[in-house]
Amino acid sequence: MEATSAMVASRKTQETEADPDHPVLEIRHAKKRFATPEGQEVVALDDVSITVARNEFLTLLGPSGCGKTTLLRVVSGFEDLDGGEILIDRQDIARQPAYRRPVNTVFQTYALFPHLSVARNVAYSLEVARVDPAEIRRRVGEMLELVGLAGFGDRRINQLSGGQQQRVALARALVARPKILLLDEPLSALDKGLRDKMQQELKALQHELGISFVFVTHDQEEALTMSDRVAVLGHGKLQQIGRPQELYRAPRNVFVARFVGESNLFPATVTQSDPAGIALRLSDGQEVRLPASTGNVLMVGAKVRLMARPEDARPATGKNNAGGLRFQGRIKQVFFVGAHYKILVHTQAHGTLKASLPAGEDLGSTPAPGQAVELHFPPATLHVLLDEEAGR
Amino acid sequence: MMVRGTLKWRQAIALLGLLGGPTLFLGVFFLGPLVIMLIYSWLEPGLYGGVVWNFYHLNYGRIFGWANTRYEQFDPAYLRIFARSIWLALCTVGLSLAICYPAAFWISRQPEWRKNLFIFLITLPFFVSLIVRLFAWVLLLRPTGFINQALMGLGIVDQPLEMIFTGFAVVLGMVYIFIPFMFLPVYASVEKLDMAMVEASFDLGAGRWQTFRRVILPMTLPGVIGGSIIVFIPSLGNFIVPSLLGGAKVMMIGNLIEQQFLSARNWPFGAALSMVVMATVLVLLLVYVRQMTREDRAVAAAPEPTGDMR
Repeated sequence: MEATSAMVASRKTQETEADPDHPVLEIRHAKKRFATPEGQEVVALDDVSITVARNEFLTLLGPSGCGKTTLLRVVSGFEDLDGGEILIDRQDIARQPAYRRPVNTVFQTYALFPHLSVARNVAYSLEVARVDPAEIRRRVGEMLELVGLAGFGDRRINQLSGGQQQRVALARALVARPKILLLDEPLSALDKGLRDKMQQELKALQHELGISFVFVTHDQEEALTMSDRVAVLGHGKLQQIGRPQELYRAPRNVFVARFVGESNLFPATVTQSDPAGIALRLSDGQEVRLPASTGNVLMVGAKVRLMARPEDARPATGKNNAGGLRFQGRIKQVFFVGAHYKILVHTQAHGTLKASLPAGEDLGSTPAPGQAVELHFPPATLHVLLDEEAGR
Repeated sequence: MMVRGTLKWRQAIALLGLLGGPTLFLGVFFLGPLVIMLIYSWLEPGLYGGVVWNFYHLNYGRIFGWANTRYEQFDPAYLRIFARSIWLALCTVGLSLAICYPAAFWISRQPEWRKNLFIFLITLPFFVSLIVRLFAWVLLLRPTGFINQALMGLGIVDQPLEMIFTGFAVVLGMVYIFIPFMFLPVYASVEKLDMAMVEASFDLGAGRWQTFRRVILPMTLPGVIGGSIIVFIPSLGNFIVPSLLGGAKVMMIGNLIEQQFLSARNWPFGAALSMVVMATVLVLLLVYVRQMTREDRAVAAAPEPTGDMR
């Protein structure tokens, strides 16, 4: 523990040299195109701008092919930009080769050197930088202890389990104290239990070391759990960036709403718009009034979508019919998930709706397929989405 | 227990069936002749060929310097030929490695169909007789050969270069025939090299040279060593290439052995020379194997700790 705090202290003194309020990483208007073997062009990054604050845990979230890994490889220096800038501590590094950049990467496959022992893997960056051998031994020892592998130094890589290899990769990337640690889906190869544990440990480690982490994942739950902020990427564009709660509660467009958490989306038309709020009509004719919360002024007649999260659904009773949306339907399928039931409800007007009801909730009895049910979404839980997605 | 016993027996019989054939074959056609050679090398040569069944150490003495009898004298020429053979074999290994190593990297980065095409092209010479291919080199290299005529026609040289019957010609010929043997093992290990390793090295601050020295070379070393051994052994004992391209001037140990068995009809001395070549190769292999296992053992012996990340 003493060794660790000494290390943290030494990092702190390093950081005072740089402006603590200025973002450590700035990506400005990053553009990247790839040519496919068939001769077509794929836009991997389309004018993406993201900043990462000092000591921040930022996650790049998106489906495969959204450009998140490309963005990471552009920052680490394995891909060149076709346009835009990358600044680390105000210095443009876009033209620097990968080995000069003050960032280190934890690779998806770990990419540990099989011909070197655990300790020599961790020591690699220090040996390359010709650090004094005694200093290397000390720092490698500290790092191995920090990731819980004290005493594993002499092992071969192929003698370690997946989780242990993961820790070696982490130690190897952190030992040189990079300004930013890049993590490319590092947990995807681990089983669920280990992954959950590593998520917590990674977060704690980031907090302890005070190094900015940029974490790439396609797992939205992972992104929400670990991050200070999440950047959602889709089709090479930045769809939304914000705190996990913002993303979940107030997605900016349909893409984000669909990708982050589960949602029900209803097409709606604006029928009334004034400073006090707006009124919307759904395709089945029911109207709902919402307070004006979004910054955008909506024109009457505008087509929007209303988002309702499954967990906001309640069984409709006489008491809770003051506004909001109501849907009548039949239960198609029921999944018991412990704390709640996940229910798929078939409605005439809107197809299948997702609802999630607390297991203790009074639904007459245990929900069963075929049962008629009326769901209610209170107005406060509804969220207006403007367009399909950014740039579409 | 009964069942287990019969199972073991069945396995033993199956093993015998599988390995018996090859064992018998190697025993008769490899180990047998080897033992004959070993025994002959310690026997006295007969006056008109054949052997006299007396223990006789002077076959080795002629090579290493303690013989001095009426018939046979120590001649340092044998050791010189031996040293030259090692030198030419090392040149062959070095040159074929210099060609195959970069080529393997280049080919491994090509699309699949082109990779296969190149590997096919590299093994293509196997389809033509070795003697025919070496005579083609004779036609190319001799004073009135194609290369000299072209050089003289272009006015680059006024008299033919002496290329054939030199050490250079022998190495060239051996590189030419052994390139596939070097290429295939080198290519196998280069192909396996994960580009993520190279990226990881760059990421950790190592430049091109450091990455090559610390990651690429050690990780492809098994193929490099394998290829080198496979080329070195037949190069050292080769006699076809030096007899065609080296002539009488550049004699290698293989030619000497061939001479002893065929024209000099001194089987015991030929056998002694063969044993020296074999001993050299075995010592080199032993050193290599010892080196490899020692590295493995050093890393494998480690305590059994457990821990969690804090």
